[in-house]
Amino acid sequence: MTEPFLLAKGITKRFGALTALSNVDLEIRRGEVLALLGDNGAGKSTFIKVLAGAHAPSDGQLLVEGHPVSFNSPKDAAAAGIATIFQELALSENLSIAENVFLGREMKRSVFGVPFLKRAEMKKRVGDLLVELDAHISDPSAAVGSLSGGQRQAVAICRALNLNAKMVIMDEPTAALAVAETRKVLELTRRLATRGCAVVLISHNISDVFEVADRMVVFRRGRKVAERLRDQTTPEEIVAFITGAHADVRALEKTR
Amino acid sequence: MINVLPRGAVVEKRELLLLAACVLAIALFAIASPFFATADNAVTILRNSVELLLISLGMSLLLAMGGVDVSIGTVMGLAAFVIGRLLTAAVDPSLAALAGILAGTALGMVTGAVVVFGRIPAIVATLGLLGVYKAAIYLALGGAWLSGLPPTLTEMLQVRIVGVPIAVIVIALSYGVIWLAMRRTPFGLHLLAVGNSEEKARLQGVNTKLIQFSTFVISGTLAGVAAVFYIGTYRNVEMTIGSTLALDAIAAVVLGGTSILGGKCSLLGTVLGVLLLRILQNGLLLVGVPSLWQAVVTGALLIGVLSIEGLSGRLQLKFAGATQ
Ligand SMILES: Nc1ncnc2c1ncn2[C@@H]1O[C@H](COP(=O)(O)OP(=O)(O)OP(=O)(O)O)[C@@H](O)[C@H]1O
Ligand SMILES: [Mg+2]
Repeated sequence: MTEPFLLAKGITKRFGALTALSNVDLEIRRGEVLALLGDNGAGKSTFIKVLAGAHAPSDGQLLVEGHPVSFNSPKDAAAAGIATIFQELALSENLSIAENVFLGREMKRSVFGVPFLKRAEMKKRVGDLLVELDAHISDPSAAVGSLSGGQRQAVAICRALNLNAKMVIMDEPTAALAVAETRKVLELTRRLATRGCAVVLISHNISDVFEVADRMVVFRRGRKVAERLRDQTTPEEIVAFITGAHADVRALEKTR
Repeated sequence: MINVLPRGAVVEKRELLLLAACVLAIALFAIASPFFATADNAVTILRNSVELLLISLGMSLLLAMGGVDVSIGTVMGLAAFVIGRLLTAAVDPSLAALAGILAGTALGMVTGAVVVFGRIPAIVATLGLLGVYKAAIYLALGGAWLSGLPPTLTEMLQVRIVGVPIAVIVIALSYGVIWLAMRRTPFGLHLLAVGNSEEKARLQGVNTKLIQFSTFVISGTLAGVAAVFYIGTYRNVEMTIGSTLALDAIAAVVLGGTSILGGKCSLLGTVLGVLLLRILQNGLLLVGVPSLWQAVVTGALLIGVLSIEGLSGRLQLKFAGATQ
């Protein structure tokens, strides 16, 4: 098997007396969709915030492509090729799709030292990306405010792709979506992996996860309690891990 | 803020509407007063619009960025005082003008620093600064007007370039530069993103503090330029200098279609808004309405536009369905 894109070793995160993550080991590979599951408060969001550079771990180590890294801010993580799509999408509704995809790193040409936008080129690039993703959005100059929730997810995914992200983290991307839109976003998630991205997906929806993920990791009370390939498990088993009814979890929790 | 409308379309409609309002106002006043529709009066209206146009261009950027500056009239006042003092000291008028513009820039930096680095909402910070700047003008003038300034600057500003008055050239240049910056450079995109949501813009990698700070600096600089024309025309600095400019500018800009909540900017609308406002103020004076009522008209226009927009904003949300 290939070297993992990201390796987390013994990640622990304490908030004062509360241990939100305890000694989590995890590997994430390119071309793979990894789902994080777990009950409310299990530590999923805390874990991805560590990966995204939003929280510094209290203990443990992250390695990106074999090299130890320490992220002080989301910018550091982005520089390492990790893009995060937070549940509350960071898009400017008053700007166009193309403008949003490029915001903060526009294509420009310098005329007498003044940076002028290359609008046509940016629009074309975003148009191509949208077609490639089969996002069913025809006009890259439409305002993001006029898009549906699923289309906005697609724009956020485009933005991550355009940043040349090697790993994309999505926190409950389908939580607020209707059935058809959910399908589309799951499809996009798959497409990201096909393009060679490592994808980390948080979801409470077991059937969504079974549709799209190659591997599943269950968190419970800040610990990783299970890791399964999709082909080697069932929804029932995963639910048992999440609720703590599974014999393995009971055994694990006795040794705490 | 949710803006569900495609950009462009509505702005143009708004601008046509304003143009129609200007034409209508001109027609009505022409009927009501024999003094209104004269070449002299047209020049007066345009002359009276110069400072407001410059300041309103800056105010458009501020509002679109999610800010505001209610102290901008006193910024012009202080810059005018600097110019006035230098002219009295027989300093070369072009140097005095430059000093006035730089004074505006410096005060814009002060305002920007207080808002951005003090993390104080713009409306509160500039209200505080309004008090400070007013007191500064009062102290500087020492209770008396600065009047009877030497006409050197006035003479300098009478220059025409291929027949076009210098004020027109300066306004056209300012408009052109700001239009380019807003439409053709990352600055405009970033400014509108900050106006939509500072937090989201920051997460998208926009240097929000730099955008906010520089917008205040641009606005202050334009107020400095306005001070040059103010002194050129009136050759005095009185205690209440610029006291109605901030309200006039906010009214004109909002009338022009720039959003008071930020995220949307119409420069052409601003120009038309200023002209409409000045036409109304001039016309009402000529038909015998006391000048006290000018502020009432401005205030009523501002409130009227905002309440109509509030209504249509709610309607837009309704028709857009559950897009958010
Ligand atoms: N910034 C913080 N300060 C203190 N405690 C925190 C902080 N962030 C998270 N926690 C705590 O850490 C624990 C794990 O929270 P986390 O948000 O990671 O859970 P989650 O698995 O994402 O849950 P959900 O499914 O509800 O989103 C919770 O007990 C939470 O209260
Ligand atoms: Mg969470």
